[in-house]
Amino acid sequence: MSEDVMFKGSRYGLQLVLNDQADFSIIEKQLKDKLESAFNFFCQGTVIRIAEDRLTQDQMAKLGSLLERYGLSLKAVDIKSVEKTMRAGQTAAEEIPGIRQTTIVERTLRGGDEVICNGSVVIYGNVNPSATVIAGGNIDVRGTCRGVVHAGAFGDTDAFVIADHMMAMQVRIAELIARAPDHIEKSEHVEKALVRNGQIVIEPAQRNEEAGK
Amino acid sequence: MSEIIVITSGKGGVGKTTTTANLGVGLATRGKKVVLIDTDTGLRNLDLLLGLENRIMYDLIDVTEGRVPYKKALVRHKKHDTLYLLPTSQVKDKMALNPEQLVKLCEEMRAEFDYILIDCPAGIEQGFKTAIAAADCAIVVTMPEISAVRDADKIIGELGRADKENIKLIVNRIRPQMVRQGDMLDMDDIDEILSIECIGQVPDDELVVTSTNRGEPVISNKDSLAGKAYSNIVGRICGENIPFLEFSEEGFFVKLKRVFGW
Repeated sequence: MSEDVMFKGSRYGLQLVLNDQADFSIIEKQLKDKLESAFNFFCQGTVIRIAEDRLTQDQMAKLGSLLERYGLSLKAVDIKSVEKTMRAGQTAAEEIPGIRQTTIVERTLRGGDEVICNGSVVIYGNVNPSATVIAGGNIDVRGTCRGVVHAGAFGDTDAFVIADHMMAMQVRIAELIARAPDHIEKSEHVEKALVRNGQIVIEPAQRNEEAGK
Repeated sequence: MSEIIVITSGKGGVGKTTTTANLGVGLATRGKKVVLIDTDTGLRNLDLLLGLENRIMYDLIDVTEGRVPYKKALVRHKKHDTLYLLPTSQVKDKMALNPEQLVKLCEEMRAEFDYILIDCPAGIEQGFKTAIAAADCAIVVTMPEISAVRDADKIIGELGRADKENIKLIVNRIRPQMVRQGDMLDMDDIDEILSIECIGQVPDDELVVTSTNRGEPVISNKDSLAGKAYSNIVGRICGENIPFLEFSEEGFFVKLKRVFGW
């Protein structure tokens, strides 16, 4: 199944990205599957943005009511103008709901699993290759992290990723991306990925602080 | 006390069908009444591995579409009295069978058999979803190779999503020599990523190929290490506590074991 529906973290909040070629009925079904899948966590009250010119009003209403059933709301935004204001140095004034909450995941995330959360996430288990974690806050993996992790998905460059064994395929923090070296060695101690001087760095760490500050 | 087991892998070519055939023969050798259901509609192979191709009269689709009762479509194995095959259709495709039909059929068969083994097609699409629908537990077959392990991981996730919690692992086609040299993933690597209970480690063995071509599963061959590994798996399925074969040591020792018939 191809991914015609994707959630993306951006500086203006979570965004719903749709495949332009896909049929609306397919989009509707995939969105429903995503919301229903037990491995997607969304915090109540999350606002999902969507490019305003993408759908007809009728289609917007349909997706909106679908999201509402899961405690989410849909908001059409003019992505281009938002991006322009962002570049002009203005930050999104709205507080993203749930960004200070911490979600606990008590299982291993396998390939294809996705955890999306406004706040921070603690995962008691591994994040396997091609599993994805997107969090508005920090990500703490109490196990081996081999997947793709995106902390501070709404632009928080103070966010970090911490793991018992950091072997992530990609670490993303805010708008920065770091990828794993082509030949990765297993690290034997806890490591933390964070932003320093506009770059993602990974350094040894100790877990004396809670992930959800 | 019958058990429905689906044998699946995600990736093709790792040995689902070979495993199904061998476990079927192994369980039947122990006197269990076993039926093997091939759900790889359109690409059926299980009949070939069992050497039963020429005995097929009706197939799974004939049964689920109500043309014949299932007993009429069963093919009894020529050597093992308690082993039956329910072949699938070679002309229809995966859409010809839906999960409800297979669940209903398996429930009907449950009264007659000790074990119902379902051979799952590769992939995670409809055919996979249908094949796993009826199962009480799943056996995931993988190989010490990065893509096979990756796909197994995905499959375990999918099984979890379908509320199949009882999942066991078989690592097939291990080449001890390559593992020793570090050219192949070893059991620890696989275990760390998949983290599910492993019930079998089967070495790559040329005898598997020759026995496949002959339609006589390798488990009946006392000289084969793979056959020995398969019969250990059968023991573990029956609840016995059997240690794993140690073929990852010196090659000479392995040969020695073979000479002595274990």
